[in-house]
Amino acid sequence: MAVEKPRRPGWVEPPGHYLKSREMYSLPGLVEYKPRARYLFSAGQAQSRFLRGLREGKILGTRCPRCGRVYVPPRMFCEYCHAPTTEWVELPGTGRVHTAVVSYIGTFRERREEPEIVGVIQLDAPGYVEGGYEFAGLFHRLCGVTPEDVMSGRAIGMRVRPRWRPPEERRGDVNDIECFEPIPEGEG
Amino acid sequence: MRPNIFVKDKVAVVGAGLTLFRRRLLETPRELAWEAARQALDSAGLTFDDIDCVVMGTAPDAFDGVHFNGEYFADVAGRNKPTVRVYVGGGTGVFVPIAAWWHVASGLCKTALAVAEEKMSPAHPHPQGVFAYIWDPILERPLGPNLIWIFAMEMRRYMHKCGATKEIIARVSVKNKRNALDHPAAQAAANITVDDVLRSELLVWPVNRLDISPVSDGAAAVVFASENEARRITDSPVWVEGIGFALDNTHWYNRELAYPRYVNYAARMAYKMAGIERPWREIDVAEPYDPFDYKELHHIEGLMLARPCEAPKLLEEDWFDRSGELPTSPSGGLLGVGNPIAAAGLMKVAEIFWQLRYEAGPRQVKKPVHYGLAQAWGDLMQVGTVIVLGN
Amino acid sequence: MAWKRWRIEEVIHYPGSQEVEKYVYTPGIHGLELAKALREGRVLGMKCPDGVYVPPKTYCPDGSPGELVEVRGPWRVVTYTLVHQDIYGNPLPEPEALALIRPDDADYGGLIHRVRAESIYIGMEVKPRWKPPKQRSGQITDIEYFEPA
Repeated sequence: MAVEKPRRPGWVEPPGHYLKSREMYSLPGLVEYKPRARYLFSAGQAQSRFLRGLREGKILGTRCPRCGRVYVPPRMFCEYCHAPTTEWVELPGTGRVHTAVVSYIGTFRERREEPEIVGVIQLDAPGYVEGGYEFAGLFHRLCGVTPEDVMSGRAIGMRVRPRWRPPEERRGDVNDIECFEPIPEGEG
Repeated sequence: MRPNIFVKDKVAVVGAGLTLFRRRLLETPRELAWEAARQALDSAGLTFDDIDCVVMGTAPDAFDGVHFNGEYFADVAGRNKPTVRVYVGGGTGVFVPIAAWWHVASGLCKTALAVAEEKMSPAHPHPQGVFAYIWDPILERPLGPNLIWIFAMEMRRYMHKCGATKEIIARVSVKNKRNALDHPAAQAAANITVDDVLRSELLVWPVNRLDISPVSDGAAAVVFASENEARRITDSPVWVEGIGFALDNTHWYNRELAYPRYVNYAARMAYKMAGIERPWREIDVAEPYDPFDYKELHHIEGLMLARPCEAPKLLEEDWFDRSGELPTSPSGGLLGVGNPIAAAGLMKVAEIFWQLRYEAGPRQVKKPVHYGLAQAWGDLMQVGTVIVLGN
Repeated sequence: MAWKRWRIEEVIHYPGSQEVEKYVYTPGIHGLELAKALREGRVLGMKCPDGVYVPPKTYCPDGSPGELVEVRGPWRVVTYTLVHQDIYGNPLPEPEALALIRPDDADYGGLIHRVRAESIYIGMEVKPRWKPPKQRSGQITDIEYFEPA
């Protein structure tokens, strides 16, 4: 595919000087700098408890005592009532695939050898009304789902459950769940 | 939501300017901002001395690699003026003119200069590394995400919910890249086919390379003036009829991805202010935000320019072409002109300004225009910013 | 009932790092001219309606384009500070003098650079110590430091 450069008589070209990568690196006065920032992110109270729950193989959420909304991942307050969400609920962990995609690239846009399937899982939570705009859910990897399932649309709406790492490998982090996998027919 | 419509001054747009949009530009961020500001002022016949207030916009500092990036280039419009930087991620481009509007509408300033700049090329090996920072550091980043994932997930959901195929969605990219052939600043203008899009590099199914806008450097600027000033400056001011903005939470995986509720709220606010009751009939030309091709359709629906899930069908009927019933992205949008994040949104506002003045040259839409709309979207699938202009 | 008071040890912390490998900053329009001049052992300024600025940055404070001019000095210390620690807080073997140095033929700005001298005072006349021409890259570090004139 050839990209045509738009050039018309009478055009006033806007200001700016385009550089090819090679041209840029040969510029005098070019400054290269490597940042060395390290961070330590606090998970906060609600998420810390959620992460501890993952280590024990549980998916925990908070419920608003006023309107009954269940939040996963948990928040400390209800966004609608501004009430502290002091009630904890343990979810069964099962859910449905809300959306799924097949990634052929990594974080820096490098090609992956094997495609990875990731998606949003709408978790089964008490109080959810079918068709609701908001839901308790997680963003995670999907396994046992093929790229064809994603492309044909079979994967969407599929019943899934978490596949946990062995307890000794769990570190209280979102990767304690290896992935979400389809529930075989007849179960769940 | 009930916006305060008791404004002190009616606000007009009187000038607009752009730099080239390119993958890598020699200019520093502040030089780009200055060039755009100069173009905008020249087009209005004003000088830097005529500007009372300045509103700057730039997306994460981590692209330019300069902290306080807004302040860094704040001096492009002269020193010691009331200056503010606003920021709502990708929505910044349209939030900058919204903020400039309230500077003038409140009576605080007679003229305001809105400048948006983005230089994405300094971050190496790829600006994608910076995008990694928008993910939640605890619940999302450990999964090794790429920004494209989130768009792909939303696109997949939209396709599922609305029965849209990749072939239909690719037509947005074809349309916008073709429109951009007439844009002098354009970076990714091309005459391509749906097949070219489908055969381009597959990144994250359903997203191919040509479904996405490019990485860009660039700047844009727009001049706002109160009614009295505007009538002195020009015979054909373009009026700001309505503005709207809304912000949802960052928990994007806790909501239906097929419909952008926050964009809808922002649009309703703007329409109410503009007195528009049937946007699908009253808006003549629109610049919905199109960093990805499906996003344009998604936003057309959020903006109530089509019913939910109706946009792909209308697209097939050439409804959104420059000669169509409701031309969208006549500039070429982000897909065609380029995506220097904040500057791209402001470029859309500039395009509506030119369209409403019938100054868009070869890009001018076929139908007569009275009302135009520009919209941007951003943060973690959570913000909508809308501006409605009229002539 | 509100949330109970937590102790900091009970909160999980998660490490992260800056995921950009490096930044590459282009010099810009006047910056490019300045870089070329530095390689030749010269410093440029910018002539504006209200005076000469160093370094040049393409546009003047009033928004008009600036005109490049060479500045020759003599250079004078406008203000200075003595640095005792490096960026990580480690003590330096010797305190370093860091100064704002302005040439007499410029009105505003100046260069921020190291000064090596027995003593330093405001108004002191200094001159740049250049790296050998072959080692210069067009960056501000082409001047190794300033020394008493």
